[in-house]
Amino acid sequence: MALYDFSWFVLFSPLFSFVVIIFGTRMWDLFSRPRAVPASVSGAHGEHEAEAHGDTHDDEHGESESMQEYDDDPQLPSLTPGAKWSGYIGVFIMALACIYSWLLLLNTTGVIDIAQALPAKGVLVFSYTWLNQGATASYLVAFRVDNLAIVMMVVVTTVSLLVQFYSQGYMDNSAGYARFFSYLSLFTFSMLVITFAQNFLVMFIGWELVGLSSYLLIGFWINKRAKPEEDRLSPATAAIEAFITTRIGDVGFIIGIMILFANTGTFDFATLTSSVTHMNQGLLTLAMIFVFCGAIGKSAQVPLHVWLPPAMEGPTPVSALIHAATMVAAGVYMVARTFPLFAAAGPAAFLVVAWVGGITAIFAALIALAQYDFKRVLAFSTISQLGYMFVGLGVAGTTYGPGPGMFHLFTHAFFKALLFLGAGSVLHALHHATHREVQDMRQMGGLGSRMPITAITWLVATLAISGFPFFSGFYSKDSIIGLAFDHGDYALWAITLFTAGLTAFYMLRAFILAFGGKGGSFGGLWGGPYRGAGDPHESPITITIPLILLAIASIVAGYWFGFYAYLTPGAPTLSLGVILSDWKTWVGVAVAFIGLGWAYALYGSVEFAKIHEFVENRPVLRVSHQILLRKFYVDDLYSALIKYVVLGLCHIAAAFDTYIVDGIVNGAAGLVRTSGRDLSHVETGRVQTYMAGFFGGVAVLAIAVIVLVTFVK
Amino acid sequence: MNLATLLFWIVAIILVGAALTVVTMRNIVHSALALVVVFGMASGIYLLLNAEFIAIVQILIYAGAVTILVLFALMLTRTNNLRTDSNPTNKQWWLAVIISALVGAGIIYATANSPHAIANSGNSAGQLPVGISNVVRIGQLLYSPTTYSYVLPFEIASVVLLVAIVGAIVIGRED
Amino acid sequence: MLTLNYFLALGAVLFCIGLYGALAKRNAVAVLMGIEIMLNAVNITLVAFSYFNQTAQFKTLLTGQIFAIFIITVAAAEAAVALAMIIAIYRKRSTVDVGEIDLMKW
Repeated sequence: MALYDFSWFVLFSPLFSFVVIIFGTRMWDLFSRPRAVPASVSGAHGEHEAEAHGDTHDDEHGESESMQEYDDDPQLPSLTPGAKWSGYIGVFIMALACIYSWLLLLNTTGVIDIAQALPAKGVLVFSYTWLNQGATASYLVAFRVDNLAIVMMVVVTTVSLLVQFYSQGYMDNSAGYARFFSYLSLFTFSMLVITFAQNFLVMFIGWELVGLSSYLLIGFWINKRAKPEEDRLSPATAAIEAFITTRIGDVGFIIGIMILFANTGTFDFATLTSSVTHMNQGLLTLAMIFVFCGAIGKSAQVPLHVWLPPAMEGPTPVSALIHAATMVAAGVYMVARTFPLFAAAGPAAFLVVAWVGGITAIFAALIALAQYDFKRVLAFSTISQLGYMFVGLGVAGTTYGPGPGMFHLFTHAFFKALLFLGAGSVLHALHHATHREVQDMRQMGGLGSRMPITAITWLVATLAISGFPFFSGFYSKDSIIGLAFDHGDYALWAITLFTAGLTAFYMLRAFILAFGGKGGSFGGLWGGPYRGAGDPHESPITITIPLILLAIASIVAGYWFGFYAYLTPGAPTLSLGVILSDWKTWVGVAVAFIGLGWAYALYGSVEFAKIHEFVENRPVLRVSHQILLRKFYVDDLYSALIKYVVLGLCHIAAAFDTYIVDGIVNGAAGLVRTSGRDLSHVETGRVQTYMAGFFGGVAVLAIAVIVLVTFVK
Repeated sequence: MNLATLLFWIVAIILVGAALTVVTMRNIVHSALALVVVFGMASGIYLLLNAEFIAIVQILIYAGAVTILVLFALMLTRTNNLRTDSNPTNKQWWLAVIISALVGAGIIYATANSPHAIANSGNSAGQLPVGISNVVRIGQLLYSPTTYSYVLPFEIASVVLLVAIVGAIVIGRED
Repeated sequence: MLTLNYFLALGAVLFCIGLYGALAKRNAVAVLMGIEIMLNAVNITLVAFSYFNQTAQFKTLLTGQIFAIFIITVAAAEAAVALAMIIAIYRKRSTVDVGEIDLMKW
């Protein structure tokens, strides 16, 4: 049991790495930099100044046209030892955690045998009593490891390790190198808090920590400005948008948690599973739908999907870690973790989950068809695949458990991380070639022959995500589509099937636009004319090694057939024979081939400019292209909503404060002043006035007394 | 209607008429002279009420000293338009009318309908001991050292008069 | 028949006339004359009460008349002082209009 008892190491090692980097190696880094400006302010301000002005004595680009980038991404001539060691420490500790989690995985699946099997309930790893008021409230900070947690742990630590390794090459010479690694470690820690959480309280803490870390990471380039001509926000704005949008989902999350707590008195998942059967089922359904709202926010489902595309403003390793593999998967993990609660609720809860996922899948896929920005296509692809995961969770039922959804999460983590890291490799190369930030696919093309490793791995990932037979996506995605049909949701089946076709189409479109084009080999698939400037070449080995590793994983991860049974004892195992003999599989494959084939035929043979002209000349196509390009105008709708409704209410409240509240306060003072001034005229200084008042009072009193005496006898 | 009642009505009407004259005349000397009539008629009322000493004191003090004081004051504070408007009314005279009317009506109504009617028709029989006149009785009441008397207020009243004399001199002297 | 009410009514009427004079006149001496009328009215009332008093224990004490004597005394003193004040004010301000003596105004 020692193997499981020490698994708190996986949880706390990234935290340790964060602390060491922030207080140790980063301080070393900052203090060892040459002082370019006299430090007029001391302490932390001095360090930030050094970091921000670290490039004043260096001009890596040396061209006047890149003036605008001076404060976008501050660079140094070379990294200081402190920064390098930040990277080493981050990678080393994450490697240890990754090895440990792989050991746990291999042990519990039976591949190796160094400890006994894990009990189904899992093992309590760490527990701390936060507040104990006896029977009414007992708040524990408790962490538990079980099969589901091990799967998620493996995904998180592996992707995090590869991303940190990759960042050593991608963020090279950056002034914020050490800060970046500290944030990556913090994020990994937050994600593991969610993974290990035993009760809603800890999960919510991890939820918010993940939100914080993603805010820090998205907004990593502090001074980078917005680019309105490319419809891009500044990273700071994108970070705020991400945080606030997920916060909106968190409101629902908290309400759901509170409803559950109010009715059962506990946050603990295991206790809740047994107590919710005594709850009113309608109330439970409502509570679980609220809890799902948190997942809608965090996993970027419609209608709270708007933060994910702008979040691409962060560095590409961040996009890979957060928006491909881990943070957005937190919502899926949460639903999987609370799967028994959803099962105990009415069918409406699963229906909501599945339909939100389905609608999101097709919505995002449609938008991705029309995007030009390389990372934005991937962002919408992520949203769409997350929709698939929720469909998988929604239609599975208690026989399959959270298996299908989590399996897609597992495979998706690898190929989506590969897609993003590959995109990062491309952007890195183009940045070096053109000395500008190029993300528009219309300025790429034919990179296959110039960056072969990146292109090959990207192709592997594209095929995986499209559900090409025998790659990992084939197993995970098609089983979800098949389950939708088996569950009787024919509409969902049709939607997911159509979306699979769309996915294949836009992914191959992106591949060909970036790496191929008319005139390349294999009929336009590989190489060809390069539409941009400069001369891009392959990225260094620190970038390509993670790509290769992930490509292998994208193929191999799909072959874990016992996944469903690993999570839910008694669930059916996949088998190749069953899969190949099912007609639904072939329908899915056919749809994928149609999508791939059409994209190949269109973009491989026709020049992009001609396609664009074709679309522009036909009003129906042009209008629909515009709608998709503007993302169904949802962003504009939200902007208008905030500008007119929210700010309108704010103006009303401000007016209320200025006129009514201040009016009352000032009015009271004014009343006193005016009445004082007017009443002072009573004092005329003349005795006769006073006598008149006196005797007037006498007269009034006399009459009063007479009246009272006569009538009130 | 016996003699007392007749006398009362005559004196009362002249009294009230003179009082009205005091407060309505434009010429203040006319008012002062009407004031003398008021004092005189008041003395008559006292006589009707068997208060001879008060009646005589009224004539002596009021109609004698106070009137002279008032006339001297009028002489020393003479304004130029003595005949026409040396005794004007101020702008809130209507308020004074209302107040006075209300107070008067209140008092009369209260006294007329009061349940504490003291023997309304009585006289002063038996108020004086046998063979002693009103003046003697007043003297006994004011000065007697042995029986019930008002010696102390009397002494204090003399101090008041002293203070008043000194005060009047101090206030009124030129410096 | 003369009853107490007649004298009380007479006193009330005189009091009100004096009150009107004190409130509505501008000349300070006229105000003083109004006050004198008021005091006389009070005296009449008091002496009337003394005359009609039938209570055996008190009717020999002539309280009303004694009270009236003291009122006369004090009224005389007060008239002297008041007229001295009016003369002093006239010397300073050349006016005896009470409406113009309002230094204690707001």
